[in-house]
Amino acid sequence: MSGAAQGGTATTKAVVADKDATKNGEADKKPTAPLEEDDEFEDFPVEDWEEEETQIPGGTSHLWEESWDDDDTNEDFAVQLREELKKLGHTK
Amino acid sequence: MQAALEEFQTAYTSSHPAVAVAHFLSPRAPPEDAARLHGFQRLSNEVMVTGDVQYAIETRMRRQMSPDEMRGWTEVISCYWRAVDRIVKAENAQHQGRFSERQALDVHDAWNDLTNNFVKHISNGALPFWTIFTLCLTANHLRLFAIQADEQMAKAKPVAFSAGFSDDIGGTPKNEKLGAAVRVFNKVFSLCLGDRSPDMNQSRKWGVYCVANLLFRTYFKLKTISLSKNLVRSIDAQSDLPQFQLYPLSHRVTYLYYVGLISFVQEDYSRAEVFLTQAWNLCYVHSTKNKELIMTYLIPCRLITHSTVPTSQLLNQFPDLNRLFGDLFRFIRKGDLSGFDRALAEGEPEFVKKRIFLTLERSRDIVLRNLFRNVFLAAGYEDLTEGQTEKDRIRKTRIPLAHFAAALRMSTAGAGGSQVIDDDEVECLLANTIYKNHMKGYISREHQMVVLGKKGAFPGTGV
Repeated sequence: MSGAAQGGTATTKAVVADKDATKNGEADKKPTAPLEEDDEFEDFPVEDWEEEETQIPGGTSHLWEESWDDDDTNEDFAVQLREELKKLGHTK
Repeated sequence: MQAALEEFQTAYTSSHPAVAVAHFLSPRAPPEDAARLHGFQRLSNEVMVTGDVQYAIETRMRRQMSPDEMRGWTEVISCYWRAVDRIVKAENAQHQGRFSERQALDVHDAWNDLTNNFVKHISNGALPFWTIFTLCLTANHLRLFAIQADEQMAKAKPVAFSAGFSDDIGGTPKNEKLGAAVRVFNKVFSLCLGDRSPDMNQSRKWGVYCVANLLFRTYFKLKTISLSKNLVRSIDAQSDLPQFQLYPLSHRVTYLYYVGLISFVQEDYSRAEVFLTQAWNLCYVHSTKNKELIMTYLIPCRLITHSTVPTSQLLNQFPDLNRLFGDLFRFIRKGDLSGFDRALAEGEPEFVKKRIFLTLERSRDIVLRNLFRNVFLAAGYEDLTEGQTEKDRIRKTRIPLAHFAAALRMSTAGAGGSQVIDDDEVECLLANTIYKNHMKGYISREHQMVVLGKKGAFPGTGV
């Protein structure tokens, strides 16, 4: 930012204008680093579809982890932690 | 022109005229007929076009249309011819490598004329109600042409700067055309919302969500997201809209996604969850990109509202999501604070761009909770007493503060390394976790112990 600001006067002003707009947050004509097009919600290839073609038949049970217990209790971190605590346990 | 109008007539009288006519009025040639636009352009010229179209419409459509409607279509199709003319010229310029601001503006202006003419003849009632959907598609092209024109103007502008005028602050503001398009879209929106036609089957109210979605997209692009709220409010306040369930799913899912996203950006996570979950459930199963976008927000949302993480099954289904979130959630599950901090820092630019950074940052509480939970689990069980079985063994609920301190030091070691956590801070973090209801218990300072609840010491985690 500072590098650009050392340019010509006009450039400086543009940069300052950018900054102000960022501060105002919702300024109407806010200059943007545009979201890339691929980040946009796409038009669906069809207008309407049947329930069989939604996520509903698949259900929602597989989406969210039910258990916090690591399947892999031998993982480095857990093992390390247990070792660490064991050491403490003995000193008590 | 007669031949071209035959195509129009077929579209007009087909069973889905809205989409068919939109195809006829498309700014892009279909893949099976790449020369369509060039061919259409050659049918007429600037001076003759209105007369040509008028004659063709009148000979072909006289029986099907009122004089008003014929006048309306004559103007719309003439405007379309002019737009095609500019598009063809812009394409030629592109082939010669001299596509620039000028061509982009010409195309935009001509398409803007077309859209405005369409709006005019719909609002004066000359065109049938279904043209509102055709208009939505036409307006969507206006959005894309406006973006293209703005980009070309932005490219051209630095040149204007160096030409002098140090007092000129910037001439045309960025996104000028897209900003102007918003006004057109708003006109279309009120055209839909305010339709008083008594026959609901013939109402433009069916276009409400379609146009709202167009406006959402534009507001997000312009980063004037707060304006979307007014849109949602005016839809909610309109009591005589057809039931939401009756709209096509493509309109509904897009609308649900954007309302969810807006709530998310405003940190109203429980509302965001409701809308995004519905969007997910109803989403077209083959639209991978859209499903991924819904989850990009629903996952951080659930992290806050339910402290839940996605299954690896879900993440594996979407390579991009896995790349985005995989590491982060591995560290969250483990309770590895330094790993979490590292993953968050590495992903920061992308998280910020997607507006999920602050939300994800808040999940550090969960990492901490999981770490403490691991300490609790590692403490093991009380010795079995007389008559007890393996099944109803009780976990040790008194755990020395020193254990938590050691776990914290271990968890924050690594990358940073220099972070030293003193004992006061350990107590502070524990107290916060208890305060946030992530952990049930209290700190006994005189014994330097944490006393945890016998049942449900870590709510919602199974222990």
